[in-house]
Amino acid sequence: MADELITEEGAREPARLPPQAAMGLLDYLTTHAMDEDYAFVSERKETAEAPEPERPRRRIGAVGALVMALFAVLVVTAAVQTSRNSVSDERDRRELVGQVDQARSQLDGDRALLAATQGEVRRLQSRQLRSDTSAQSLLSRIELLGVRAGTIPVRGPGVRVVADDAPGADNARNEVLDSDLQKLVNGLWEAGAEAISINGQRLTNLSTIRLAGGAITVNARSLRRPYVVSAIGNKDTLPARFAETSSGQAWLDLQREVGLQLKITPVSSLRLPAAEATLRYANQKDQGGAS
Amino acid sequence: MIAIIGLVVGIVLGLFLTPDVPLSMEPYLPIAVVAALDAVFGAFRAFLDGIFDDKVFVISFISNVLIAAMIVFLGDKLGVGAQLSTGVVVVLGIRIFSNVAAIRRHIFHA
Repeated sequence: MADELITEEGAREPARLPPQAAMGLLDYLTTHAMDEDYAFVSERKETAEAPEPERPRRRIGAVGALVMALFAVLVVTAAVQTSRNSVSDERDRRELVGQVDQARSQLDGDRALLAATQGEVRRLQSRQLRSDTSAQSLLSRIELLGVRAGTIPVRGPGVRVVADDAPGADNARNEVLDSDLQKLVNGLWEAGAEAISINGQRLTNLSTIRLAGGAITVNARSLRRPYVVSAIGNKDTLPARFAETSSGQAWLDLQREVGLQLKITPVSSLRLPAAEATLRYANQKDQGGAS
Repeated sequence: MIAIIGLVVGIVLGLFLTPDVPLSMEPYLPIAVVAALDAVFGAFRAFLDGIFDDKVFVISFISNVLIAAMIVFLGDKLGVGAQLSTGVVVVLGIRIFSNVAAIRRHIFHA
């Protein structure tokens, strides 16, 4: 403390620089950590009064205690506030997670119900229509249309095409984009494919292949690379005819220039799942209700 | 002794009343606490040095808290609230540490 008083006095000499300038900020901060007022006031009182060995003003009075109480209230309030906030944040987060889980399970349940109902409809249709010959031709027509539209699972020979990003891909240039997948699928249709699915998502007349939130989305389901395109058709001619299409040429360029990977393997038996295709507005001419 | 009684009373009051901080004041509370802590340690050191004074303590406490809150408020308005709070915490933290060092020298003579 004594040296502090000396620096205090030294600072008041006009010839010397102020301590902030002479000492540097950090040194100044550490030597003047205590408010200078204490030293100043005590010095002033010392000069005013006769120095006594025991001075009552050095004791902490009621005002000091009051300020200590204020300090304690401040600290406790801050602590309580912080803990309360963290608790409510955690509760909000849990609630949101719960809501997401609930919505997801409800969606899964609805999807399962939809699939079950579609299977039931098909079963009832086939039982009703099997009775007579005109109905039988109707049935086979429905099945043909179902296969074409993608609402009935199909099985047959074909090719499996695996498309993937270039090795070590880091930007959109050497990744498989939605437009690349669209080209691939177009080329396969052109080459004579009769049914196509991407990563288990069957393509229907309502399917879209688009980029949504950084992932390629088919039938409103996000896919992860590698993209496995299964196409049913003539497994011997599909690869060659695909390579002849403009889309095949484009993919050849992509492989050569950007390094995208494309592997076509013939498969003797493929199973493609059915897709959900629900029509709400499109009606047949001779029927009143929705299909 | 009376200071410790005041501290305990304050803690009990805070725990029982749990005063609700207005939302607009909430960001300034932690920095105010740090400033108050600095004032309290400075007062304790002054007490041990034998130069404690009630009036200085009150004034340094209140002005510390108000100025710290005001700096952060100003920083928020200027868009550098986080940086200014960091600055305030660094300066007050250095002061607290050197005050505690002085207190330690007083108590343990080391």
